[in-house]
Amino acid sequence: MLPPSEANQRQSPIEPNLDANLQAMQNIFTDCGDIMFRQFKAGGSVKAAVIFTKLLSNSEGVFKALILPLMNHKLESANVQDILETILPVSCYTEIHTHEEAADHVLRGNPVVFLDGRTPAFAVYLEKWEKRGIEEPTSEAVVRGPREGFTESIEVNASLMRRKIRNSRLKMKTFEIGSETKTNVMMVYIEGIAPPQLVQDVSNRLSGIQIDGVLESNYIEEYIEDHPHSPFPQMINTERPDVAAANLLEGRVVIMTDGTPFALIVPANLNALLQSPEDYYQRYMISVLIRFLRLFFLGMALLLPSVYVAILTYHQEMLPTTLLISVAQSREEIPFPALVEALLMEITFEILREAGIRLPKQIGSAVSIVGALVIGQAAVSAGLVSAPMVMVVAATGIASFAIPRYNTAIAIRMLRFPIILLAGSLGLLGVMLGLIAIIVHLGSIRSFGYPYLEPLSPSKRDYMKDFLFRAPWWTLRKRPRHVPQGSYTPPSSGK
Amino acid sequence: MLEKGRISAFQMAVIMHSTVLATAILLLPSITAKYAQQDLWMSPIWAAPLGALAIWLAVKLNRMYPKESIVEYSESILGKFAGKIIGLVYVFFLLYANGLIVREYAEFLVGSFLPRTPMIVITGSMVLVAAYAVYNGIEAIARTAIVIVPVVIVLHVFGALLILNDLKAEELFPMFEKGVLPSLLGGISPLTYLGQFIYITFILPFVRDQGRSLKWGMWSLASVLFIMLLSTLTTMMLFGDLTSRLIYPVMISSRYISIADFLEHVESLTMAIWVGKTFIKIAAFYYFSVIATAQWLKLSDYRPIVLPMGIIIVIYGSWIAPNFQLLMQYMGTSVVFSAFIVHFIIPAFLLIAAKLRKGFA
Repeated sequence: MLPPSEANQRQSPIEPNLDANLQAMQNIFTDCGDIMFRQFKAGGSVKAAVIFTKLLSNSEGVFKALILPLMNHKLESANVQDILETILPVSCYTEIHTHEEAADHVLRGNPVVFLDGRTPAFAVYLEKWEKRGIEEPTSEAVVRGPREGFTESIEVNASLMRRKIRNSRLKMKTFEIGSETKTNVMMVYIEGIAPPQLVQDVSNRLSGIQIDGVLESNYIEEYIEDHPHSPFPQMINTERPDVAAANLLEGRVVIMTDGTPFALIVPANLNALLQSPEDYYQRYMISVLIRFLRLFFLGMALLLPSVYVAILTYHQEMLPTTLLISVAQSREEIPFPALVEALLMEITFEILREAGIRLPKQIGSAVSIVGALVIGQAAVSAGLVSAPMVMVVAATGIASFAIPRYNTAIAIRMLRFPIILLAGSLGLLGVMLGLIAIIVHLGSIRSFGYPYLEPLSPSKRDYMKDFLFRAPWWTLRKRPRHVPQGSYTPPSSGK
Repeated sequence: MLEKGRISAFQMAVIMHSTVLATAILLLPSITAKYAQQDLWMSPIWAAPLGALAIWLAVKLNRMYPKESIVEYSESILGKFAGKIIGLVYVFFLLYANGLIVREYAEFLVGSFLPRTPMIVITGSMVLVAAYAVYNGIEAIARTAIVIVPVVIVLHVFGALLILNDLKAEELFPMFEKGVLPSLLGGISPLTYLGQFIYITFILPFVRDQGRSLKWGMWSLASVLFIMLLSTLTTMMLFGDLTSRLIYPVMISSRYISIADFLEHVESLTMAIWVGKTFIKIAAFYYFSVIATAQWLKLSDYRPIVLPMGIIIVIYGSWIAPNFQLLMQYMGTSVVFSAFIVHFIIPAFLLIAAKLRKGFA
């Protein structure tokens, strides 16, 4: 239960003397006003004390299931084990032998009971605290599909996973990461479906994390990913238990972190990062169309402003004559070249978007729309930007919102800017070079040993059914399993 | 093993398709038309068996020495000294070829699209991106190829379909007006390109399923042939006698594309697509060159020499010819001979020598 580092510290063992124990615990918890010390007499004669954190423990349970039975029953044996087995109706308990361990349990919300003259002490699992109820995840809403989302409590999340996959092969291995926060992190996988070396790899990486606090799953993500300097995410993060369960069934491993509703799913490839759970909840034809549309929007979000700049600056002949005339007309009074105009508008759009996140819900959407329209309109009338540019930027923005996963969308948004610069300097050639560089980058990275461009690149014919389109459920006979077929390379050690 | 990545035979085929075809498709019709006139579409067909020979030679030699490329097994076959000489030939020829390709690419772009850009910007930018790919190994190149090549092939066919209207089949006739000889002579040009299939000798040691390499090599050749035929036929049918006078007939043919008077002047788009293909060629040749040099120098890792070789390649691009006309002349004359030696004579000689050695042993 204790992380190895703490075991090396001085451990003061628990004596049979209650007063000494209490003194030691008081010393540990000086100035901790929320820790309760309740002394009582067990069995009428034995001095006892229970230490618990009022707000983290089930106070009613402490009194009814812990103090009350101890008070009422006579303590015959000197063995703590017998006492626990015969008197206490609590469901789980554990014996404690050191004060530090006791403090650790108290801080987790498990009341610790000391009995005078008897060792060891024991801690009872009676934790209960305020937590958010299960709500629809805001970041991943679907039209059709479950509306349950993970919450910040890892126990609740684990329960949601258990409910989806009722199989004893669903394994949940816990880690405690963070020397100060001692955050519970759970690695969840289905034995027999997830490749063993993947599970081992994840386990090794999680055990190797040295950090003082884990507040969000991103802390873990950055520690264990293969390519921290790549703009592309190498893990899926999701608030939805159905997404997590679906990925578990495909052989992936889910990492849940206490304190955040976002679970990590490894390994991820580009295809997985472009999927939305709704693809599987609607009829397959719709999903096929939407997937194509999504790919198209992906390209648009990345390339539209740069292609526009390139065409206007270098390849004007590509526009049909009428369009060319109207664009030239609108650009006549603009003092900036297309490149500067594009960069200006894109940066403004990003600022507006970022600011819009922090606005209160009620006025947020209205303000962003109005702001964009007003600013856009005002800028056009002032002659700072041209109307086609505003349209291009708006279209790009909307296209980037069509990408279902936020982390992929950010990557694309970020990469837009260097390509715009390339377009302004080398035209379509620059756009192509930038695009090729991105594709080369995607082709060279791996997520936990699995190539990022699978199933496109090491082409696996079976998995292609889920790639550009989604074949109907009754044809997807083989679940895409991440069984290594030669394309898996063990990641180099040293993380 | 210098390279820890492994690719499949299919990926190798995809890489080679683009590697052989990229610059071929640009210059091929015009050079071939000089010799063959309206029979120029036969020339790739005449050259194809020799292309198959190149593949066969490389695969056979690879079967005998599965983990080695031509630079390495020439030492095993001919002994240290002679083998080192042959390796040196390949090292330098590959550098030369790299410079040639890069120069063709830059000349085309500067000549047709970006006349005011200094050539070194174009060369340098492409070599830089290619260096990034080469640095990441054959797997990165293979995966990029798989993303780019199918799109390019589809767009090729699509582009040919779009100008279907303007094609005049009678330009192909009279067929064999002067007999078979002109098309045979015209086959020299495709031969220079198809002989480049020999360079799979550098990739084959890293192919996972080597048993299928022959089959996929042949498929690669077939796809190259198909596109060559497509481009020669369409340019001939479009331009007729003019083909031999145009330097870049394929590019000009894309100017004919006009859909509903709306989508016009798409040659810039064609250029962008062609840049994608040429990238794979440049990256592949860059990779061959780096691997050959690293193997010849018996280095443990090829990565440190990637950037320096890139600089050398950029410089070679400028050295290789003082101007475009001389470049074209070299391509039509001396390069043909040296390429023939490097692509066919030396590997054939090595194969015979290896068989003799095995016979003795």
